[in-house]
Amino acid sequence: MWRYIIRRIFLQGIPVLLGFTFLLYLIITVAPGSPVTHLRGVPDLDTAVIAQREAQLGIDQPFLIQYGRWLGQILRLDLGLSFDSARRPVIDLIGERMPATIILSLSSIILGWGIGIPVGILSARYQYSVFDYIITFFAFVGISIPSFFFGLVLLYMFALTWNVLPAGGFFMAGEPHTFVGYIRYLLLPVLTLGLGSIASVARYMRSSLLEVLNEDYLRTARAKGLRENIVVYKHALRNALLPILTLMGFMLPTIFSGAVIVENIFTWPGLGSLAIQALNERNYPVIMGINLMFAVLIFLGSIIADVSYAFADPRIRYE
Amino acid sequence: MKKQLVIVLLLFVLSLSVVVSAQEVPVLGGTFRYGTTVNPRGMFNPILYTETYDGYVIDVVYDGLIEIDANLQPQPKVAKAWEVSEDGLEITFYLHEGIRFHDGVELTAEDVAYTYMTILHPDYTGVRFGTFNMLVGAQEYKDGTQATVPGIEIIDDYTIKFSTNRPHAPLLSSFGYGILPAHLLAHIPVGELETAEFNLHPIGSGPFKFVEFLTDQHVTFEANEEYFFGRPNIDTLVYQKVSQDTIPIFLQQNRIDFIEISPDQFLQVSDLGHIDTYIYEALSYSYIAFNLRQERFDDVAVRQAITYGFDRQLYVDLIREGFGIVANAPMPTASWAYTSEGIDPYHYDPKKAAEMLSEAGWTPGSDGILQKDGERLEFEFLVPDGSRLTEQMALLFQQNMEDIGIKVNLMFMEFSAAVDRVDAREFDTFTMSWSLAVDPDPYSIWHSTSLWNDPGFYNEASDRLIEQGRLETDLEKRKEIYADWQRVINYELPSMFLNYGVAIGAINERVKGIDADPGPYGPLVGRQLLWKIWLAD
Repeated sequence: MWRYIIRRIFLQGIPVLLGFTFLLYLIITVAPGSPVTHLRGVPDLDTAVIAQREAQLGIDQPFLIQYGRWLGQILRLDLGLSFDSARRPVIDLIGERMPATIILSLSSIILGWGIGIPVGILSARYQYSVFDYIITFFAFVGISIPSFFFGLVLLYMFALTWNVLPAGGFFMAGEPHTFVGYIRYLLLPVLTLGLGSIASVARYMRSSLLEVLNEDYLRTARAKGLRENIVVYKHALRNALLPILTLMGFMLPTIFSGAVIVENIFTWPGLGSLAIQALNERNYPVIMGINLMFAVLIFLGSIIADVSYAFADPRIRYE
Repeated sequence: MKKQLVIVLLLFVLSLSVVVSAQEVPVLGGTFRYGTTVNPRGMFNPILYTETYDGYVIDVVYDGLIEIDANLQPQPKVAKAWEVSEDGLEITFYLHEGIRFHDGVELTAEDVAYTYMTILHPDYTGVRFGTFNMLVGAQEYKDGTQATVPGIEIIDDYTIKFSTNRPHAPLLSSFGYGILPAHLLAHIPVGELETAEFNLHPIGSGPFKFVEFLTDQHVTFEANEEYFFGRPNIDTLVYQKVSQDTIPIFLQQNRIDFIEISPDQFLQVSDLGHIDTYIYEALSYSYIAFNLRQERFDDVAVRQAITYGFDRQLYVDLIREGFGIVANAPMPTASWAYTSEGIDPYHYDPKKAAEMLSEAGWTPGSDGILQKDGERLEFEFLVPDGSRLTEQMALLFQQNMEDIGIKVNLMFMEFSAAVDRVDAREFDTFTMSWSLAVDPDPYSIWHSTSLWNDPGFYNEASDRLIEQGRLETDLEKRKEIYADWQRVINYELPSMFLNYGVAIGAINERVKGIDADPGPYGPLVGRQLLWKIWLAD
């Protein structure tokens, strides 16, 4: 098992990450626009000052040298300094926003999976029942509504019309950080972000379980006189969960990218606004830092999904 | 009779109470929340920052030698007075005695000298050298050929003299930069100042002390109890980040007391009972620039005809919902240098436009598009995306041009990419807008040698007037020069001017002591009134 994990990381992970960062750096430097665009309009500015700035940032160098320098920093575990006027370390910029993004994403994953899986199971267990149709209907609605729209609808109802929940943001200055406070601020963004995953997890769970329910070994189980509940929850469910684990690995990045939009609507102090700002300003080190971090997370997510197969399915062994 | 007396008494009491409430004695205490849609970056250093919202923090933490009032004129601040020499070459500032930084150390001429010397230093990483390069010896010091700047001279602890190589009228209003505490910074090499910890934990001599900067949430300040000019009325000041979409709800829930809103939010916000809105003219204008390097745009008749052919009033009334003023020269109505005298308004007149084009030799081709010597009057119009108003304006422009036989091809592009094209001069026409500095000096945008002269405009009279305007220190004479200059530009139209900006401030009615008839800086005069306002609840 450990040998497998180490092999995955060194033989697969590192080359993939290298290729990814190389391509990404190439794309952002080739794309039109420059990191010094914000100097446009500075009164009495001399071209020499712009050139000096470009030299400081290293963007006067050819692509390969720029990338090489960046990679050298990464090997020393340094994400570099941001290109904006404050020149703060990229690791700080990400570190300050990471907790908020993780809280939001984890909560919506818990919400999505915590509700989606049981609903999907019940929906499959009672296939073609009224309950199943209702769930199917809402699942399609949930998948179809774009999150920014759903977020605005929630804001309109809970914040503007009824005025029972804050219109986004995090704790106000001077407001004590209480558990209830966290719930109040989290509720709307988590619902917005979680809705889509509840719906799709429920759909996947339903179809995966239905597929398993038609297998021969379940017919055998029923034939030997087991009660339907035991057949479904004990024999079928464990097998039906396997594809769902894969799904988890795939959905992680979707959750994070969905968070970018939701954070923007709800003034949530996460990575979303930093990512968008960095893209607009061609802030290379910040774009690279955020993407590298997500790439690593997604890669780890896929390893965890693969490893968890081994626990769910005794036939799978990694040697 | 008795009843009458009661009524008279009642009236008397009522009028008394009106008088009392009208006096409005400032109340101490409370928290004022100032909404912003973009968070600061954390460069709270007056000589290094470039982002507007970092400037917001700097505005309340530091004080400058002077401050700019609602009429855009310099007023005393740290300097209680100043003196400009007869020849306009020397400015001497007399500082208040007893002003202290937030750490208790007194502010002296030493700190002023440090602040401005650093801008001129060879290793300085900021962008403000050009503003002060006319100080005597500044260039030599920058180049490293001289170790001092003779143009900055400390006379005594409370007197400092700046001298220039030539008179430079815009200079005085550039002395508003916050004064840095030399005792905390002088030991840091200038080249490393950019990454100094100080920039995140600023210490100035301003009305508010910096408390906390929480990324993408808020910046908090407390009243400076020992502020030289008197303690602020409010206890706590917060810059609160708000997403653009939720501004009206934040106002409704009293989560912010003030914010600048966009025209499309005006109706929704003005419906909120406890929020007052103020509309004021801003120091900005938007334009459509012609690339004068191209032969067809080099003809003034073509530029004027295009301007006659575009219904700019309709654009302001319909698309901007009235929030804007049609512009005919690059000098906003909010500026003291603005003039309407002798300015052609170029009222929408497609017939006249067509005639002018025909006189200039453009005749309709078989497809209805005008042509001359085999060249069609067809051009690309570069439009940075992201603003609904700009995109709609572009569509209206395209339609109006089609009516007079000009084909416009719209090219929507992400802002930074569009700037790339403009910088490379690879455009036919493009639209953007300029926010202007306090001083009306148009040199940086319109002088033929300037970096931001994107159209490539060169006109001898214009250049001469711009240069004269810089040299003339008499306000009235300067006004005249700029009026002449506006008339030149109004005729030449190196760009078509669309509209002067109008800003809207939304403020909670509990906030008292604001400028109820706001100038270009709005009801809080930028952030200057923050230490004088109070909260009535």
